[in-house]
Amino acid sequence: MTMTELHALLPIIVIAGISVVLMVMTAFFRHQRLASLITYGGFIAAAVLVAGQTGSGPQQATPLLIMDEYSRFFSLVILVTSLAATMLAYDYLRRSDVFKEEYYILLSLAVLGAVVLVSSNHFAAFFIGIELMSVSLFAMVGYMVQGRTRRAVTLEASVKYMILSGVSSSFLLFGIALVYADFGVLSFSGLHSLLGLHSTSSYSQIGAAMIVVGLAFKLSWVPFHMWTPDVYEGAPVPVTAFLATVSKVSVFAIIVRFFIESGAFRLEALVQALVWIAVLSMLVGNGLALLQQNIKRLLAYSSIAHLGYLMVAFIAIAGSNLANTNLAVEATAFYLVAYIVMSLIAFGIITTLSSPERAEEAETLAHFRGLFWQKPGLATAMGLALLSLAGIPLTIGFVGKFYVFAAGVAGQLWLLVGVLIVGSALGLYYYLRLIMEMCKAPDTEPAISREETPLENRVVLSALGLVLLVIGIFPNGLITTVHAAVAVLR
Amino acid sequence: MSYGASLITHLWPLVLFLVLVIGLISLMLAGPYFLGSRRNARATGEPYECGIVPVGSAQYHVPIPFYLFAIFFVIFDLEAVFLFAWAVAVRETGWAGFIEALVFIVILLVALLYLWRLGALDWRTFRQKRDRASVLLR
Amino acid sequence: MLDWLWLVPGLPFLGFLILFAGQGKMPKRWTTLVGVGSVGLAALVTLLIAVEFYGTPEAALTYRQTLWTWMEAGSLKPGFSLYLDGLALSMLFVITGVGFLIHLYASGYMYEDEDFPRFFTYTNLFVAAMVMLVLADNLVLLFLGWEGVGLCSYLLIGFWYRDPENGRCARKAFIVTRIGDTAFAIGLFLLFRELGTLDIQDAMSAATATWPRDSGTATLIAVLLLGGAVGKSAQLPLQTWLPDAMAGPTPVSALIHAATMVTAGVYLIARTHVLFQLSTDAMQLVALVGVLTLLMSGFTALTQTDLKRILAYSTISQIGYMFLALGVGAWSSAIFHLMTHAFFKALLFLTAGSIILSVHHQQDIFKMGGLRKALPVPFATFLVGCLGLTALPPTSGFFSKEQILNAVWSSPTGGQLIWAGAVLGAFITAIYTFRMFFIVFFGEQQTEAHEHKGFKFHVPLIVLAVLAAVGGFFHLPLTSALPHAGHDHVPLGVEVTAIALPMVGVLLAYLLFYRQIPALRQLFETGPLKSLAAFFYSGWAMDWLYDRLLVKPFVALARWNSKDLVDQLPAVVSRGAALFHRLLSLSQNGQLRYYVATMALASLVVMAVAVYTG
Repeated sequence: MTMTELHALLPIIVIAGISVVLMVMTAFFRHQRLASLITYGGFIAAAVLVAGQTGSGPQQATPLLIMDEYSRFFSLVILVTSLAATMLAYDYLRRSDVFKEEYYILLSLAVLGAVVLVSSNHFAAFFIGIELMSVSLFAMVGYMVQGRTRRAVTLEASVKYMILSGVSSSFLLFGIALVYADFGVLSFSGLHSLLGLHSTSSYSQIGAAMIVVGLAFKLSWVPFHMWTPDVYEGAPVPVTAFLATVSKVSVFAIIVRFFIESGAFRLEALVQALVWIAVLSMLVGNGLALLQQNIKRLLAYSSIAHLGYLMVAFIAIAGSNLANTNLAVEATAFYLVAYIVMSLIAFGIITTLSSPERAEEAETLAHFRGLFWQKPGLATAMGLALLSLAGIPLTIGFVGKFYVFAAGVAGQLWLLVGVLIVGSALGLYYYLRLIMEMCKAPDTEPAISREETPLENRVVLSALGLVLLVIGIFPNGLITTVHAAVAVLR
Repeated sequence: MSYGASLITHLWPLVLFLVLVIGLISLMLAGPYFLGSRRNARATGEPYECGIVPVGSAQYHVPIPFYLFAIFFVIFDLEAVFLFAWAVAVRETGWAGFIEALVFIVILLVALLYLWRLGALDWRTFRQKRDRASVLLR
Repeated sequence: MLDWLWLVPGLPFLGFLILFAGQGKMPKRWTTLVGVGSVGLAALVTLLIAVEFYGTPEAALTYRQTLWTWMEAGSLKPGFSLYLDGLALSMLFVITGVGFLIHLYASGYMYEDEDFPRFFTYTNLFVAAMVMLVLADNLVLLFLGWEGVGLCSYLLIGFWYRDPENGRCARKAFIVTRIGDTAFAIGLFLLFRELGTLDIQDAMSAATATWPRDSGTATLIAVLLLGGAVGKSAQLPLQTWLPDAMAGPTPVSALIHAATMVTAGVYLIARTHVLFQLSTDAMQLVALVGVLTLLMSGFTALTQTDLKRILAYSTISQIGYMFLALGVGAWSSAIFHLMTHAFFKALLFLTAGSIILSVHHQQDIFKMGGLRKALPVPFATFLVGCLGLTALPPTSGFFSKEQILNAVWSSPTGGQLIWAGAVLGAFITAIYTFRMFFIVFFGEQQTEAHEHKGFKFHVPLIVLAVLAAVGGFFHLPLTSALPHAGHDHVPLGVEVTAIALPMVGVLLAYLLFYRQIPALRQLFETGPLKSLAAFFYSGWAMDWLYDRLLVKPFVALARWNSKDLVDQLPAVVSRGAALFHRLLSLSQNGQLRYYVATMALASLVVMAVAVYTG
């Protein structure tokens, strides 16, 4: 390993270092504030390192990992998201009656997995990353169990996630094995001259399909989405926030890279299958969310729908026109960022309103009834996030959806664009219903805690809200960044 | 000799072995049915435990921390596996390999340290630990 | 200095925000300061910009300021930029200058009103929207301003919302202009589809490059845009809302329904004049709309008794002149008349406001009479305004109207017949103007009057009177922005007729309404002329016609429909969606083995698709 490679790997080493340091610290001295500060510091240091390398060109570090603009962009996104998610979790953890420091160890390991995942261009690193992230998430989903009923739900979610994730990982691994059996190649770019050409045998076709199935589980594409609502509901909210953002985004980022670099878009039948998965995701996600009363489940279904919208742009990449392809890749990257911002706000607010000390998550409509009158700041942020999720103009969600729409139209995917419109219309209903609930007169006995919103949450939520608006009004900065980031994918 | 014929030549001892095994087991299972006497007394269905009448159900929780077992397995056995691989190529990898192996060992050591401090090596149940603590307090 | 351009819409908008945030809880002095001051500062900035603008060479008289580009996705770049040229600057003069004077006047006129802050909130928003409309460099932004002023107009007509009648007038104005707006929007979509750009300057140059003369598409788009202009500017056949819009406070009538918003249609056509030049038919239509409107509303004004309604009809008529000017290609004359009209019509409205306030909200001119002595300042300023409206030399109205009439005579889309109509219109204008003047100020005093004195009342009146008197000598920087109409010399007789006929009209009005010659009165109060007058009085029965033809059937249809047909479709959709939700919910049963089985089955399907159709 050369020094330049080591330098390129430095952010990953720093993130790995966080968990080691935290482990040593936790062994001798438990202190949540210190653990959280170490985690923040590590994420910031890694982010600064990544940002410092931006523009220095692609750097292959060992045959497994590539550090180029694309992986740097998503590493940065993941690190910033994780930082925000960790900060939002602090107060929730503080108030619950469990070991707290381990959460930071698990989280930094999951982030390590995510960063490795988005930086991989080789099946080995790809699998290690995805497993490192998933295994940490099993434990996180079942974390912090308090109260008998709540514990049962949480453990059930954890076990479900573990078993189903195991099933999907076996698909993924078998798919990789089949592709390897056919070509003897494990790097993405090595497949480029092989996959999807006429010589492709059924082995690699089935292999690619199995890889897609394995990833479809992680991305909760319909019909591999069954776990999503149960796990979102069962997991503690800060974990749900992390699960909904970082794990989804990192897997989506790598599936885009994998499909482009390995030439998997040439497998027309597979792309056709993806079209139907996208249609199902948009319809089923929105349809399930429609009358849902539990907010966490509602957001789970809405995330299924949003991943479906993303697929419209993803499938548009398959087009032959280079300009349209670029537009579509940009659209996925932009939408991923938008999706993170809106989801993080929504889950962050549920986190803030929840009272773990009473084993109570703010997940019913009653928790939100009349929120505007009791906590106008939080309610405004939630309203913004919901409007953005619904795709109302002047929010980041609108620009993202518009981008996806444009990519779909440019790729002439009329079926998908049509379903996108129908799905958005359905979506409008349940997002606005929640906003209406917040505007109602509050109940006499408010379900939410009367405590002051902690400073950390306030800072993060207002920053995210600001980002949501500012990018909604001046999206050009992000568009330029995204444009530069995706230019390396050929 | 054709491929199929050679397969038969190679495999016939195995087939014979399987047939013999199945035959023997069938004999052993079927024998008591014909030879044994059938009596249906009160304690016939109970498990035999050195003549002592069993108490309670056999299905109860034994607190064995399997997750911890898995982690210890990873720490000790997998460590050995990787180190063995390194040992084979220790000259070729040189100092760089040494440092990498060192990092690997240190990380596992830290994990062990953590588990030790957490009380993972203390195999008593929660109740036992609590009782011990209360004894000490008294 | 040009960099400050964004302040011109920005300051009134800031004023709006402050007043809006103040929620009417600020002291009245502060409200006045913000409400009037923001427009005043905007006027000052306009003046400073104009100074620099006049200093630059004539050819380079354009300035573009990009404030921000919202997003760039593919070829679509909806931006937010301002475009200043001579035309826009001329409009800015009128909007901010006249607007400021009217705001100043309103701060006195509306002072006693309990909703004083709300008034300035709306008017500041109006000024911001109007400036936005004028400075917009793309048609989307222009449309935004267009709708913005429409909204403010609606809010201000219904300002005294406690009287349901005012609400009805506001709704009428909104709905009638909406018909035009729909045409306008369709025109915009068509333009974008054909040319692929909404930037006005790009679209105009693309239009000349794409379409030949008299192309059908160009004509269609021009006519659709004309539809929007006709709605906003209260021209035939969408003129019926403006007289009813007088339900709003008088400063509003002066600001929105005389000086600025109603001239937006004129501005729109001048702004897109390239498009209209491509189509002789469209130009002809504009000219016809203009001349018919000016005649019809002139005759109607002749018979009205409500002071503000007379002025409203005269506004429609004067905008008819502007349309006529546009129709004959005298672009700069139209804008010139727009400016002079803003001066004298704002003056007339504000003076009318003073009169009405003095006689305790009496608006019927036949119940005023002899106010000359009681209200000396309004008398003087009203006289100046009337002279301007009648276009007697050397007032401002004379210069602008003379230009128009001369252009009509020599233009291919004008001609002698239309010229005759326009001159007849000028004659009628003279009669109804001085009919109003003589009846209000001379004769026996019917009611007692208390003049409202003070700085806020008199200064705007006097300044506007001066402007109305000498405004004809202004030189507007239009030569580079608008093509110059060829000034063919018209025969001397034609010119003399055009100048003389209004004077004859004044004389006739003098005889009829000052001297009150019995024989002449007899003529008008009996026989067919009386019923004709009744017909004119009703606004050529247009309201009656529309009511029967459109409103009643529509209301009936809506009532018939309100429970049945249309509701069924949404109900089916919502019921279907709910059913869909319930069906899907069955799949989420929480059973792990079922989940795994589904996954396995789905993987089989995906793999089968991947292999067998690949």
